[in-house]
Amino acid sequence: MNNKNKFVLYDNNDEFKYNISKIDIDIKFNRVAFIFFVFFIISVIYSIHLIHLGSRKSDLSNNNQPKIINKLLRADIVDRNDNFLAKTVSSIDIGINPVEIIDQKKLLLNLGYIFPDKNYELIKSKLQKNKFFWFEKKISEENYEKIMMLGDKSIQPKEKLRRVYPQKNLFSHIIGQIDDDNIGISGLEKSLDEQLKNNKNTITLTVDKDIQFLIREELIKYNKIFRTKGSAAILMNVNTGEIISLVSLPDFDPNERINITDLNYINRATKGVYELGSVFKTFTLAAGIHEGVIEPETEFINLEKSIQCGKNTISEYDKKIPSNLTAEQILIRSGNIGSVRIGQSIGLEKFKNFMNELSLINSIQFDIEEVGVPVSFKWGKCKLATASYGHGITTTILQLANAYSIIVNGGYKISPTLIKKNINLKNRKILKNDVSKKINPILRKIVTTKEGTASLANIDGYEVGGKTGTAQKSALGGYSKNKINTFASIFPISNPKFTLVVMLDEPKTNSEYIYNYRDGSGIKYKGTPFNTAGWTTVEVVGQIIEKIGPILATKYFEVY
Amino acid sequence: MIKFIVFASILSLIVSTTLIKNSTKDLDDKIYSTKENLLFLENRLKDSKLEFDYLSSSEKLLEYQLLYFENSLQKKSLKELNTLEIIDNELIINKLTISGNKDEQ
Repeated sequence: MNNKNKFVLYDNNDEFKYNISKIDIDIKFNRVAFIFFVFFIISVIYSIHLIHLGSRKSDLSNNNQPKIINKLLRADIVDRNDNFLAKTVSSIDIGINPVEIIDQKKLLLNLGYIFPDKNYELIKSKLQKNKFFWFEKKISEENYEKIMMLGDKSIQPKEKLRRVYPQKNLFSHIIGQIDDDNIGISGLEKSLDEQLKNNKNTITLTVDKDIQFLIREELIKYNKIFRTKGSAAILMNVNTGEIISLVSLPDFDPNERINITDLNYINRATKGVYELGSVFKTFTLAAGIHEGVIEPETEFINLEKSIQCGKNTISEYDKKIPSNLTAEQILIRSGNIGSVRIGQSIGLEKFKNFMNELSLINSIQFDIEEVGVPVSFKWGKCKLATASYGHGITTTILQLANAYSIIVNGGYKISPTLIKKNINLKNRKILKNDVSKKINPILRKIVTTKEGTASLANIDGYEVGGKTGTAQKSALGGYSKNKINTFASIFPISNPKFTLVVMLDEPKTNSEYIYNYRDGSGIKYKGTPFNTAGWTTVEVVGQIIEKIGPILATKYFEVY
Repeated sequence: MIKFIVFASILSLIVSTTLIKNSTKDLDDKIYSTKENLLFLENRLKDSKLEFDYLSSSEKLLEYQLLYFENSLQKKSLKELNTLEIIDNELIINKLTISGNKDEQ
């Protein structure tokens, strides 16, 4: 038999043979494992992080202070040397609401540890009444922290705002006070109310507490000596308008929170509007020099002792005044008729404009709202005559100080301010023809010469110059016998730095007071011979400058 | 090898991010607590300064002066005050004036 092998040949080209290799299986497995591993690591890390956070102890030593949320904030006010004039102090009162107590025994025990000195029998009886009561007022921070740590719902703290005025009466008319609702009701507390509430920054004033104290002490002393109704003083920097001291008496203690209705407590320095008299004669002469119609040497011949203008008779106070005087002598001797003639030579419009330029007869912008507005009147020929020597024209002490500063500082316009500013703005020159250079020596002669009216202010070393003003106080329908005595002083006159204006309201003579003449003779004089500024206000200014002069010379030396 | 490097770098990134986040959180906490402490100390300083201003006010000082000292205060005139300047190891004594100009010698 034939065994034949059959070979069948197949074409394998179209057949796909899939070989599952071990390598592929490894890649697949590795990718999955890799992703799984990454997620595992991430979760392990976050678990560690969570465990770590959970196991952290809260560090008590870093959280010593109570968390007082100061909703009732009010910024502090300091003087130019950073002494507090008004400070906000917050205190916490602790109240207990018996209704919310869970364990009374435990609470009383814990409170006993913190406040061992309290009367707990009384407190137990209060708790039994089931009414809210104050447990402790003005609690210390340490005790506040301890009491809050008890975590008892019945303990209810209440934050109270207290405004403290450590200088008491000293700055009462400047700072003012607030009411129980934290709203300013007078002074800077009122005018800067929004700024104090919204801004945490301390407000720095231009005043100096030591100078303020000394001036106030002198005014109090002389109020008693001359039996005045009140008085006022302003010390101002003539170049910047910064007010170093502003005193008005009588004053009050803002810490006592009294509601003051007596008009005698008016701010005489800024709010009181007065006819100040002969102090205006300086402005008349300055206006004449500014307009170029008058020089200090200009002679006035045959000056009358009295003149008529309409219904008014204008006469000299000093009947012995010579009839021929220069403009300079008219101011030194304080001649009324001479001043009228100077005013008339200037002319109504120019005189009026000059007064406006010095901000004397209109209202003035100031940092507090208590600012008086000079009484308005109709200008005319006779009004010019009377206004020339300071009669029938009113202004405030603040405006007088401001105007004198402009006259003596070279004619640069300044604005009085109580708030320290870091910007030094260049002031606009409003007076020409060397008004200051011509007026300043005359003001000095008023103090140094025999004919002048202010020799009692001639303090050695201070070159004091100035002008006195004695005016009758206006009353209903005319004038009373009472006086307003003013002295506007400038020192040192060779290079003016400060103006000090003092006003005494209704002074009287004193028969026992002893004056020491300042002409170097050592002569003493007993008793006030005349109720004029020269014998009252000038003496006060002299005493003040003697006291504050060394402080101004040393403390403010570097500034100028 | 590449896989290992990639894996290791990713892991180290995650670890380092966590560590940095932790330490910044620590620093933030420390800064916060320091600020709070500072605020507390500032308030205490202001309160102390308030006490100081009240106790060293002119009124209080005069009160203490009357209480504890027999001598009364003496008024000093400007002529009695001088300024001392040391220039080139030389002591120069000048009179004090209120004008603010250079002192006369």
